[in-house]
Amino acid sequence: MTISEQTVDLQPPTEQEVLTEITAMLATVLEEYGLDDAEAAAEVTMESRFTEDLELESIDLVTLAGQLRERWGDRINFAEFIAGMELDEIIGLTVGRLVRHVVDRLQTAGRS
Amino acid sequence: MAFLDLDGLRCHVQRLAPQDGRPPAATVVLLHGLLTDSLASYYFTLAPALAAAGLDVLMYDHRGHGRSGRPPTGYRLEHFVDDLEAVLDRLEVTGPVQLVGNSFGGTVAFSLAARRPEQVAGILAIESEPASRAWAVKLDGILRQAERHLVEEETLAWVAEQRGSHTARLARSAGALLAGTSLARDIPASLLPAEAELRSIRCPVLAVYGTESDLACQAAWLDGLLADCRSTFVPGQEHSVLIEAPEVVRELTLSWLREHGADLRDGVLRDGAVRDGVLTGRGSGR
Repeated sequence: MTISEQTVDLQPPTEQEVLTEITAMLATVLEEYGLDDAEAAAEVTMESRFTEDLELESIDLVTLAGQLRERWGDRINFAEFIAGMELDEIIGLTVGRLVRHVVDRLQTAGRS
Repeated sequence: MAFLDLDGLRCHVQRLAPQDGRPPAATVVLLHGLLTDSLASYYFTLAPALAAAGLDVLMYDHRGHGRSGRPPTGYRLEHFVDDLEAVLDRLEVTGPVQLVGNSFGGTVAFSLAARRPEQVAGILAIESEPASRAWAVKLDGILRQAERHLVEEETLAWVAEQRGSHTARLARSAGALLAGTSLARDIPASLLPAEAELRSIRCPVLAVYGTESDLACQAAWLDGLLADCRSTFVPGQEHSVLIEAPEVVRELTLSWLREHGADLRDGVLRDGAVRDGVLTGRGSGR
Protein backbone atom coordinates (compact mmCIF):
# COMPACT_ATOMS: atom_id res chain seq x y z
CA MET A 1 0.00 0.00 0.00
CA THR A 2 1.46 3.35 -0.94
CA ILE A 3 1.21 6.28 1.38
CA SER A 4 1.30 9.60 -0.35
CA GLU A 5 2.26 12.61 1.65
CA GLN A 6 -0.30 15.26 2.17
CA THR A 7 0.72 18.19 0.06
CA VAL A 8 -0.33 21.78 0.21
CA ASP A 9 -2.13 22.39 -3.05
CA LEU A 10 -1.71 25.89 -4.41
CA GLN A 11 -4.62 25.40 -6.79
CA PRO A 12 -7.60 23.10 -6.18
CA PRO A 13 -7.21 20.11 -8.52
CA THR A 14 -9.39 19.64 -11.59
CA GLU A 15 -11.86 16.77 -12.02
CA GLN A 16 -9.40 15.05 -14.35
CA GLU A 17 -6.57 15.28 -11.82
CA VAL A 18 -8.74 13.91 -9.02
CA LEU A 19 -9.99 11.09 -11.27
CA THR A 20 -6.40 10.13 -12.05
CA GLU A 21 -5.52 10.01 -8.35
CA ILE A 22 -8.63 8.05 -7.35
CA THR A 23 -8.00 5.59 -10.20
CA ALA A 24 -4.53 4.95 -8.78
CA MET A 25 -6.03 4.43 -5.31
CA LEU A 26 -8.57 1.95 -6.70
CA ALA A 27 -5.77 0.01 -8.38
CA THR A 28 -4.09 -0.36 -4.98
CA VAL A 29 -7.34 -1.50 -3.35
CA LEU A 30 -8.01 -4.03 -6.12
CA GLU A 31 -4.45 -5.39 -6.13
CA GLU A 32 -5.45 -7.51 -3.13
CA TYR A 33 -7.69 -9.54 -5.44
CA GLY A 34 -5.04 -10.27 -8.05
CA LEU A 35 -4.10 -9.13 -11.51
CA ASP A 36 -7.46 -9.30 -13.30
CA ASP A 37 -9.16 -6.84 -11.01
CA ALA A 38 -6.13 -4.57 -10.99
CA GLU A 39 -6.32 -4.46 -14.79
CA ALA A 40 -10.01 -3.66 -14.61
CA ALA A 41 -9.12 -0.62 -12.52
CA ALA A 42 -7.18 0.75 -15.48
CA GLU A 43 -10.55 1.31 -17.14
CA VAL A 44 -12.05 3.43 -14.38
CA THR A 45 -14.19 6.26 -15.76
CA MET A 46 -16.41 8.91 -14.21
CA GLU A 47 -19.38 6.63 -14.95
CA SER A 48 -17.94 3.51 -13.26
CA ARG A 49 -20.02 2.33 -10.33
CA PHE A 50 -18.08 1.14 -7.29
CA THR A 51 -20.17 -1.95 -6.57
CA GLU A 52 -21.66 -2.96 -9.93
CA ASP A 53 -18.76 -2.20 -12.27
CA LEU A 54 -15.64 -2.25 -10.09
CA GLU A 55 -17.04 -4.99 -7.81
CA LEU A 56 -15.81 -3.36 -4.64
CA GLU A 57 -16.99 -4.70 -1.30
CA SER A 58 -17.92 -2.33 1.48
CA ILE A 59 -14.64 -3.09 3.28
CA ASP A 60 -12.77 -1.97 0.13
CA LEU A 61 -14.49 1.38 0.42
CA VAL A 62 -13.14 1.67 3.98
CA THR A 63 -9.65 1.21 2.53
CA LEU A 64 -10.40 3.82 -0.13
CA ALA A 65 -11.64 6.18 2.58
CA GLY A 66 -8.28 5.81 4.34
CA GLN A 67 -6.41 6.62 1.15
CA LEU A 68 -8.56 9.69 0.51
CA ARG A 69 -7.79 10.89 4.02
CA GLU A 70 -4.06 10.24 3.63
CA ARG A 71 -4.05 12.27 0.44
CA TRP A 72 -6.31 15.18 1.35
CA GLY A 73 -6.61 15.03 5.14
CA ASP A 74 -9.75 15.78 7.12
CA ARG A 75 -11.20 17.78 4.24
CA ILE A 76 -12.42 14.52 2.72
CA ASN A 77 -14.55 12.43 5.06
CA PHE A 78 -15.81 9.56 2.92
CA ALA A 79 -17.62 7.84 5.82
CA GLU A 80 -19.77 10.92 6.36
CA PHE A 81 -20.30 11.33 2.62
CA ILE A 82 -21.67 7.75 2.47
CA ALA A 83 -23.57 7.90 5.77
CA GLY A 84 -25.80 10.63 4.35
CA MET A 85 -27.00 8.49 1.43
CA GLU A 86 -29.96 6.26 0.71
CA LEU A 87 -29.25 2.61 0.01
CA ASP A 88 -30.07 2.96 -3.69
CA GLU A 89 -27.73 5.92 -3.97
CA ILE A 90 -24.87 3.92 -2.50
CA ILE A 91 -25.47 0.92 -4.74
CA GLY A 92 -25.39 3.23 -7.77
CA LEU A 93 -22.57 5.47 -6.51
CA THR A 94 -20.23 6.38 -9.36
CA VAL A 95 -16.58 7.34 -9.31
CA GLY A 96 -17.64 10.65 -10.90
CA ARG A 97 -19.86 11.52 -7.94
CA LEU A 98 -16.95 10.99 -5.55
CA VAL A 99 -14.61 12.94 -7.84
CA ARG A 100 -17.00 15.91 -7.91
CA HIS A 101 -17.43 15.70 -4.13
CA VAL A 102 -13.65 15.82 -3.65
CA VAL A 103 -13.26 18.73 -6.08
CA ASP A 104 -16.07 20.67 -4.38
CA ARG A 105 -14.61 20.07 -0.93
CA LEU A 106 -11.11 21.12 -1.94
CA GLN A 107 -12.43 24.28 -3.60
CA THR A 108 -14.48 25.14 -0.50
CA ALA A 109 -11.50 24.45 1.74
CA GLY A 110 -9.32 26.61 -0.51
CA ARG A 111 -11.65 29.58 -0.12
CA SER A 112 -12.04 29.35 3.66
CA MET B 1 -3.39 3.63 12.37
CA ALA B 2 -4.87 0.85 10.32
CA PHE B 3 -3.22 -2.42 11.36
CA LEU B 4 -2.17 -3.99 14.65
CA ASP B 5 -0.02 -7.10 14.92
CA LEU B 6 -1.65 -9.33 17.54
CA ASP B 7 0.96 -12.05 18.07
CA GLY B 8 1.29 -12.55 14.33
CA LEU B 9 -2.35 -11.92 13.49
CA ARG B 10 -2.89 -8.84 11.33
CA CYS B 11 -5.79 -6.90 12.81
CA HIS B 12 -7.43 -4.14 10.78
CA VAL B 13 -8.46 -1.33 13.12
CA GLN B 14 -10.29 1.92 12.43
CA ARG B 15 -10.67 4.62 15.04
CA LEU B 16 -12.75 7.77 14.63
CA ALA B 17 -12.11 10.56 17.12
CA PRO B 18 -14.42 13.45 17.98
CA GLN B 19 -13.92 16.13 15.35
CA ASP B 20 -14.13 19.08 17.70
CA GLY B 21 -10.76 18.26 19.28
CA ARG B 22 -12.24 17.98 22.78
CA PRO B 23 -11.65 14.88 24.91
CA PRO B 24 -14.04 12.05 24.05
CA ALA B 25 -17.19 11.57 26.15
CA ALA B 26 -16.57 7.81 26.25
CA THR B 27 -14.95 5.04 24.25
CA VAL B 28 -17.26 2.82 22.23
CA VAL B 29 -16.04 -0.41 20.65
CA LEU B 30 -18.11 -1.69 17.71
CA LEU B 31 -18.06 -5.47 17.17
CA HIS B 32 -19.31 -6.92 13.88
CA GLY B 33 -20.90 -10.30 13.11
CA LEU B 34 -19.73 -13.49 11.40
CA LEU B 35 -19.21 -14.40 7.75
CA THR B 36 -20.56 -11.59 5.54
CA ASP B 37 -19.88 -8.87 8.09
CA SER B 38 -16.93 -6.53 8.62
CA LEU B 39 -16.23 -3.22 10.31
CA ALA B 40 -17.65 -1.57 7.17
CA SER B 41 -21.13 -2.32 8.59
CA TYR B 42 -20.38 0.29 11.24
CA TYR B 43 -18.00 2.56 9.33
CA PHE B 44 -20.76 3.63 6.97
CA THR B 45 -23.65 3.60 9.47
CA LEU B 46 -23.18 4.19 13.20
CA ALA B 47 -19.56 5.26 13.45
CA PRO B 48 -19.63 8.76 11.87
CA ALA B 49 -22.63 9.82 13.98
CA LEU B 50 -21.03 8.50 17.18
CA ALA B 51 -17.79 10.37 16.47
CA ALA B 52 -19.78 13.53 15.69
CA ALA B 53 -21.47 13.14 19.08
CA GLY B 54 -18.07 13.31 20.77
CA LEU B 55 -17.25 9.63 21.21
CA ASP B 56 -13.98 7.82 20.69
CA VAL B 57 -15.11 5.14 18.21
CA LEU B 58 -13.04 2.00 17.87
CA MET B 59 -13.81 -0.78 15.41
CA TYR B 60 -11.82 -3.68 14.00
CA ASP B 61 -12.26 -6.63 11.67
CA HIS B 62 -12.53 -9.97 13.44
CA ARG B 63 -9.94 -12.59 12.49
CA GLY B 64 -10.73 -14.07 9.08
CA HIS B 65 -12.95 -11.13 8.17
CA GLY B 66 -12.58 -7.87 6.26
CA ARG B 67 -8.94 -6.80 6.02
CA SER B 68 -7.71 -8.70 9.05
CA GLY B 69 -5.57 -11.80 8.70
CA ARG B 70 -7.12 -15.19 7.97
CA PRO B 71 -5.27 -17.95 9.85
CA PRO B 72 -6.37 -21.48 8.82
CA THR B 73 -7.40 -22.40 12.37
CA GLY B 74 -8.23 -20.73 15.69
CA TYR B 75 -11.85 -19.60 15.37
CA ARG B 76 -13.40 -20.59 18.69
CA LEU B 77 -15.27 -17.83 20.52
CA GLU B 78 -12.48 -17.49 23.08
CA HIS B 79 -10.02 -16.58 20.28
CA PHE B 80 -12.26 -13.70 19.24
CA VAL B 81 -12.51 -12.56 22.88
CA ASP B 82 -8.71 -12.79 23.19
CA ASP B 83 -8.47 -10.51 20.14
CA LEU B 84 -10.80 -7.93 21.69
CA GLU B 85 -8.77 -7.95 24.90
CA ALA B 86 -5.55 -7.63 22.92
CA VAL B 87 -6.87 -4.69 20.87
CA LEU B 88 -7.88 -2.85 24.06
CA ASP B 89 -4.53 -3.60 25.70
CA ARG B 90 -2.47 -2.63 22.66
CA LEU B 91 -4.34 0.64 22.22
CA GLU B 92 -4.04 1.27 25.98
CA VAL B 93 -7.77 1.72 26.39
CA THR B 94 -7.83 1.56 30.17
CA GLY B 95 -11.21 2.75 31.36
CA PRO B 96 -14.33 0.63 31.06
CA VAL B 97 -15.68 0.82 27.52
CA GLN B 98 -19.12 0.69 25.99
CA LEU B 99 -19.49 -2.31 23.68
CA VAL B 100 -21.85 -2.43 20.73
CA GLY B 101 -22.15 -5.89 19.24
CA ASN B 102 -24.05 -6.97 16.15
CA SER B 103 -25.07 -10.63 16.24
CA PHE B 104 -21.88 -12.64 16.95
CA GLY B 105 -20.20 -9.35 17.92
CA GLY B 106 -22.61 -9.16 20.87
CA THR B 107 -21.72 -12.73 21.82
CA VAL B 108 -18.07 -11.62 21.99
CA ALA B 109 -19.13 -8.63 24.10
CA PHE B 110 -20.99 -10.79 26.65
CA SER B 111 -17.99 -13.09 26.92
CA LEU B 112 -15.63 -10.17 27.61
CA ALA B 113 -18.03 -8.84 30.27
CA ALA B 114 -17.98 -12.26 31.96
CA ARG B 115 -14.20 -12.55 31.68
CA ARG B 116 -13.17 -8.96 32.52
CA PRO B 117 -16.12 -7.15 34.13
CA GLU B 118 -13.97 -4.14 35.05
CA GLN B 119 -13.37 -3.49 31.32
CA VAL B 120 -17.03 -3.22 30.30
CA ALA B 121 -19.23 -0.25 31.18
CA GLY B 122 -22.22 -1.43 29.19
CA ILE B 123 -23.37 -3.53 26.25
CA LEU B 124 -25.72 -2.73 23.43
CA ALA B 125 -26.46 -6.08 21.82
CA ILE B 126 -28.10 -5.98 18.40
CA GLU B 127 -29.82 -9.23 17.44
CA SER B 128 -27.48 -11.14 19.68
CA GLU B 129 -27.19 -13.54 22.58
CA PRO B 130 -24.51 -14.84 24.94
CA ALA B 131 -22.90 -18.15 24.06
CA SER B 132 -24.73 -21.20 25.41
CA ARG B 133 -25.22 -24.85 24.50
CA ALA B 134 -28.31 -23.90 22.44
CA TRP B 135 -26.32 -21.16 20.69
CA ALA B 136 -23.54 -23.61 19.78
CA VAL B 137 -26.03 -26.11 18.34
CA LYS B 138 -27.79 -23.41 16.31
CA LEU B 139 -24.53 -21.96 14.94
CA ASP B 140 -23.36 -25.47 14.03
CA GLY B 141 -26.44 -25.88 11.82
CA ILE B 142 -26.13 -22.42 10.24
CA LEU B 143 -22.41 -22.79 9.55
CA ARG B 144 -22.77 -26.28 8.05
CA GLN B 145 -25.46 -24.98 5.69
CA ALA B 146 -23.38 -21.93 4.76
CA GLU B 147 -20.24 -23.99 4.22
CA ARG B 148 -22.08 -26.31 1.83
CA HIS B 149 -24.05 -23.73 -0.13
CA LEU B 150 -21.98 -20.54 -0.32
CA VAL B 151 -19.53 -22.17 -2.72
CA GLU B 152 -22.28 -23.21 -5.15
CA GLU B 153 -22.64 -21.02 -8.21
CA GLU B 154 -26.42 -21.54 -8.30
CA THR B 155 -26.74 -20.38 -4.69
CA LEU B 156 -24.62 -17.30 -5.37
CA ALA B 157 -26.68 -16.53 -8.48
CA TRP B 158 -29.84 -16.82 -6.38
CA VAL B 159 -28.39 -14.45 -3.76
CA ALA B 160 -27.48 -11.99 -6.52
CA GLU B 161 -31.01 -12.11 -7.86
CA GLN B 162 -32.70 -11.79 -4.46
CA ARG B 163 -30.30 -9.43 -2.69
CA GLY B 164 -28.16 -7.78 -5.35
CA SER B 165 -24.64 -8.23 -6.62
CA HIS B 166 -22.93 -6.66 -3.61
CA THR B 167 -24.50 -9.12 -1.17
CA ALA B 168 -23.61 -11.94 -3.56
CA ARG B 169 -20.00 -10.80 -3.51
CA LEU B 170 -20.04 -10.82 0.30
CA ALA B 171 -21.59 -14.29 0.24
CA ARG B 172 -18.82 -15.51 -2.06
CA SER B 173 -16.21 -14.10 0.36
CA ALA B 174 -17.97 -15.85 3.24
CA GLY B 175 -17.85 -19.11 1.27
CA ALA B 176 -14.10 -18.64 0.81
CA LEU B 177 -13.67 -17.98 4.55
CA LEU B 178 -15.51 -21.20 5.41
CA ALA B 179 -13.67 -23.23 2.76
CA GLY B 180 -10.25 -21.94 3.78
CA THR B 181 -10.49 -22.13 7.56
CA SER B 182 -11.77 -24.29 10.42
CA LEU B 183 -14.31 -21.61 11.45
CA ALA B 184 -17.39 -23.79 10.83
CA ARG B 185 -15.99 -26.53 13.11
CA ASP B 186 -14.44 -24.18 15.67
CA ILE B 187 -17.41 -21.96 16.58
CA PRO B 188 -19.60 -24.86 17.81
CA ALA B 189 -16.59 -26.19 19.78
CA SER B 190 -16.12 -22.90 21.67
CA LEU B 191 -15.62 -22.83 25.42
CA LEU B 192 -19.07 -21.90 26.67
CA PRO B 193 -19.53 -19.64 29.68
CA ALA B 194 -21.37 -21.31 32.56
CA GLU B 195 -24.78 -19.84 33.33
CA ALA B 196 -23.41 -18.58 36.66
CA GLU B 197 -20.77 -16.60 34.74
CA LEU B 198 -23.46 -14.95 32.62
CA ARG B 199 -25.54 -14.21 35.71
CA SER B 200 -22.50 -12.45 37.16
CA ILE B 201 -22.56 -9.82 34.37
CA ARG B 202 -23.64 -6.68 36.24
CA CYS B 203 -23.20 -3.97 33.61
CA PRO B 204 -26.29 -2.46 31.96
CA VAL B 205 -27.36 -4.21 28.77
CA LEU B 206 -29.74 -3.02 26.06
CA ALA B 207 -30.84 -5.86 23.80
CA VAL B 208 -32.19 -4.77 20.41
CA TYR B 209 -34.28 -7.17 18.33
CA GLY B 210 -36.24 -7.06 15.11
CA THR B 211 -39.85 -8.00 15.80
CA GLU B 212 -39.73 -10.50 12.93
CA SER B 213 -36.48 -12.13 14.05
CA ASP B 214 -36.34 -15.64 15.48
CA LEU B 215 -34.19 -14.25 18.31
CA ALA B 216 -36.92 -11.91 19.58
CA CYS B 217 -38.62 -14.71 21.54
CA GLN B 218 -35.47 -15.05 23.67
CA ALA B 219 -35.77 -11.52 25.03
CA ALA B 220 -37.56 -12.51 28.24
CA TRP B 221 -35.02 -15.26 28.92
CA LEU B 222 -32.09 -12.84 28.55
CA ASP B 223 -33.80 -10.15 30.64
CA GLY B 224 -34.23 -12.72 33.40
CA LEU B 225 -30.71 -14.09 33.13
CA LEU B 226 -28.80 -10.82 33.32
CA ALA B 227 -28.80 -8.50 36.32
CA ASP B 228 -29.53 -5.29 34.39
CA CYS B 229 -30.97 -5.99 30.95
CA ARG B 230 -33.72 -4.32 29.00
CA SER B 231 -35.07 -5.21 25.57
CA THR B 232 -36.29 -3.07 22.72
CA PHE B 233 -37.89 -4.18 19.46
CA VAL B 234 -37.61 -2.61 16.01
CA PRO B 235 -40.88 -3.11 14.13
CA GLY B 236 -40.86 -5.03 10.87
CA GLN B 237 -37.19 -5.98 11.04
CA GLU B 238 -35.60 -9.42 10.91
CA HIS B 239 -32.00 -10.26 11.84
CA SER B 240 -30.28 -7.46 9.88
CA VAL B 241 -31.52 -4.55 12.00
CA LEU B 242 -28.20 -2.66 11.88
CA ILE B 243 -28.06 -2.81 8.10
CA GLU B 244 -31.74 -2.33 7.34
CA ALA B 245 -32.55 0.31 9.97
CA PRO B 246 -29.27 2.13 10.72
CA GLU B 247 -31.02 5.35 11.69
CA VAL B 248 -33.05 3.58 14.38
CA VAL B 249 -29.92 1.89 15.73
CA ARG B 250 -28.07 5.24 15.76
CA GLU B 251 -30.78 6.90 17.83
CA LEU B 252 -31.06 3.93 20.20
CA THR B 253 -27.30 3.92 20.71
CA LEU B 254 -27.00 7.66 21.33
CA SER B 255 -29.89 7.74 23.81
CA TRP B 256 -28.57 4.60 25.53
CA LEU B 257 -25.15 6.20 26.01
CA ARG B 258 -26.71 9.46 27.22
CA GLU B 259 -28.80 7.52 29.72
CA HIS B 260 -25.61 5.98 31.07
CA GLY B 261 -23.82 9.22 31.65
CA ALA B 262 -21.98 9.99 28.40
CA ASP B 263 -21.88 13.75 27.92
CA LEU B 264 -22.65 13.77 24.21
CA ARG B 265 -22.47 16.80 21.92
CA ASP B 266 -25.18 17.71 19.46
CA GLY B 267 -22.97 16.51 16.66
CA VAL B 268 -24.11 17.24 13.14
CA LEU B 269 -22.53 15.40 10.26
CA ARG B 270 -20.96 17.79 7.81
CA ASP B 271 -22.68 16.24 4.85
CA GLY B 272 -26.13 17.14 6.03
CA ALA B 273 -29.00 15.13 7.36
CA VAL B 274 -28.38 11.52 8.13
CA ARG B 275 -30.80 9.19 6.45
CA ASP B 276 -30.97 5.46 6.28
CA GLY B 277 -28.13 4.40 4.10
CA VAL B 278 -25.84 1.44 4.07
CA LEU B 279 -23.50 -0.48 1.92
CA THR B 280 -23.13 -3.78 3.60
CA GLY B 281 -24.43 -7.25 3.24
CA ARG B 282 -27.94 -8.06 4.20
CA GLY B 283 -28.99 -11.42 5.40
CA SER B 284 -26.82 -14.01 7.07
CA GLY B 285 -24.17 -12.41 9.35
CA ARG B 286 -24.72 -14.17 12.66
